Amino acid sequence: MSDLFSLLSVGSNAMAAQNSGISIATNNVANANTEGYSRQRLGDVSSGQPVRIQDNLLSGQIQTAAGSLAMSQAFAEALSALEGGVAGGGATIDEQIGALFSKVGQAAAAPTDSASRDAVVAAARALVGGIQRRAAEVSEARKAADTRIRDNATQATALAKQLAAANTAVAKSGDPAALDQRDKIAKHLGELVGGKARIDHDGQMRFVLDGGAVLVDGTHPATLAATTDPATGVARVEVVNGAARRDVTAAIGGGKIGADLKFRDQNVAQAATKLDQVAFDITTSLNAVHTANAGLDGVSGRPMFTPQTQVAGAASSIAVDPALAADSKLLALAAPGTGAGNNAGALALFSVATQKVASGGTSTLGDAALDIVSSVAVAGSNAKGDVTRDGLVSDNLAGLRDSLSGVDTQEELTNLARFEHASTAMAKFVSTIDGMLGSLIDNL
Amino acid sequence: MRITGNRMIDLASASTTKNQATVGTVSAQLTSGMRVTTPSDDPTAWLAAQRTKMRQALSQGSGAAVTTSRERLEVSDNSLASMGDIVSQIRTLAVQGASDTYNANNRAGLGAEVQGLFQAALDNANAQGNDGEFLFGGSASTTPPFDAAGVYHGDANVRSVPSNASLTTAVTISGASLTAAQGVDVMPLLSRIATALSNNDMPTLLAALPDLDTAVKQISLARSQGGAAMNALDQTTAARTVLEQDMTAAISRYVEVDSVAAASDLAKASQSLEVSRAVSSHIISVLAPST
Repeated sequence: MSDLFSLLSVGSNAMAAQNSGISIATNNVANANTEGYSRQRLGDVSSGQPVRIQDNLLSGQIQTAAGSLAMSQAFAEALSALEGGVAGGGATIDEQIGALFSKVGQAAAAPTDSASRDAVVAAARALVGGIQRRAAEVSEARKAADTRIRDNATQATALAKQLAAANTAVAKSGDPAALDQRDKIAKHLGELVGGKARIDHDGQMRFVLDGGAVLVDGTHPATLAATTDPATGVARVEVVNGAARRDVTAAIGGGKIGADLKFRDQNVAQAATKLDQVAFDITTSLNAVHTANAGLDGVSGRPMFTPQTQVAGAASSIAVDPALAADSKLLALAAPGTGAGNNAGALALFSVATQKVASGGTSTLGDAALDIVSSVAVAGSNAKGDVTRDGLVSDNLAGLRDSLSGVDTQEELTNLARFEHASTAMAKFVSTIDGMLGSLIDNL
Repeated sequence: MRITGNRMIDLASASTTKNQATVGTVSAQLTSGMRVTTPSDDPTAWLAAQRTKMRQALSQGSGAAVTTSRERLEVSDNSLASMGDIVSQIRTLAVQGASDTYNANNRAGLGAEVQGLFQAALDNANAQGNDGEFLFGGSASTTPPFDAAGVYHGDANVRSVPSNASLTTAVTISGASLTAAQGVDVMPLLSRIATALSNNDMPTLLAALPDLDTAVKQISLARSQGGAAMNALDQTTAARTVLEQDMTAAISRYVEVDSVAAASDLAKASQSLEVSRAVSSHIISVLAPST
């Protein structure tokens, strides 16, 4: 009889286990399309606790790849916008430079003709307007990147807190759902800041940025603060942990924040510097010729553009000389001491088009202007390639994860049927043993 | 490798999306006719196209200068031709007036006629272009180069224009070529003959006759210089026309779409899209739970 009682216990436990299996299979099917869900299996039969089917190494690789892909996409998007700013919406600066020299060439044949002179001044004003517009676009791109850095730093701080809370939940229960949630938060955080999430021996996740700064230490989150650097006027990113502050602006090399930092501090800065240099070179090279020649009134020494004393800020401050802008008769197309019909000044201006007067005497004005767009275009083209590459890597890792941890509904339905049959069989077993016990007790 | 149903659907969906994007891209290229719509589509081709456009702009500037100058040279040549005819007529009348068969009254009549021809020659010497610039004044081209007496007040400056990016060509004829610097002062000579005839001044008239031959040669020389300049400009125009056509073709090759190749790409991409859609439908139907 004691054996019958133990059989009853076995049957009852087995039934409970099969019911756990049914519950787990049902839960798997219910979460088949839940982002980040790892399928579960019945672990210890006696306890009926589910086991999460996943691989920490693979999860780490996925988180790293997510950071790379997010960075590539954000970088490509930012470069596309900058490309539009320096090359879209009308004639490019090199085209406007070409148009100016073309009008000068035409005026060389008719230096006393007011229409030809007006056309040169109009072309100069168009060039100035174009340079100023592109400078404003580059400045806007810088501000937009800065805003995104600040916004994403705020989001990263919030996610760091969520990750710390997830670590607390995992420490309390070890629930697979909590573990999935923690992995998902780590992936999203990686998309913002790059870095790496590692699971230590105590089962707690630590999130470390490139360069070694710890953003989340188990249940203790730090703050990712974007504050204005007084020296540059743009955001610098710091990890703040109590009284300790660590500047990670140069260290963050992944995620959306990494993309925007690289974009702002390298690509935008380079475009702005080159734009200023071109504006300065246009002003100084054409002024040098213009001041040496005379207008229709025979007076020389006048500039074509308002003189500039430094490269920094030249693009936003370039301007046609106000007196010339108001009166094209002042356009210096004649050599000094000759009559108004002389066109030596026009020929000298026209020849500047093919002289290497830009970028320290290494290129023509047109080529220097082309280099601004070309640099952005090459970076943009490379970025598109990086997006494709990182997308393939992410997709491949997603496939591996799905193969290991993904829910196959057909498989789960099969498991469900198996557990149901086993549960039904155990129920009959228990019923049979119960019947036997009942008979024995009745016969006592 | 374990493949879940969701993975199969994701793979089919990604393939369809990729093929749709390809169809979209090729369709946009065919519609716009452009292969390179933004610099990053093909930075090398874009850069090459833009450099060619810069050379084209400079060439067009030179071209406009050459066209304007060619038109002015024609006007100048016509004026010189008229002056040549006038000087020849005056020479005929002067020879007549120098004849012993003419008396003072006859010579006075010839003088009036020569005076009228002198005025016509003066008008031609002070010819202007469409913009009002005086064609024979050298660089002093905003005021009439020859005064009422035919004295030249311009300079010897000859204007050159860029015939291409690196060369210039002389395109004006200075009125100095009609002065004593090149032979005789042609206009005052004509005025002197008119006065001599009117005043029956035979010594002055006879002394001027040889100078008329020189004047004819001076005008002829000026015309030939103008003609040579026009020929030079015509040659540069012909060369530049070919060059600009080559540039336009080059730009087209760099950034425009090859319609035939693109149409073929569109057909292939469309076919791939149809296949991926069919595969997606099939996978979804296979994975649908049976009722």
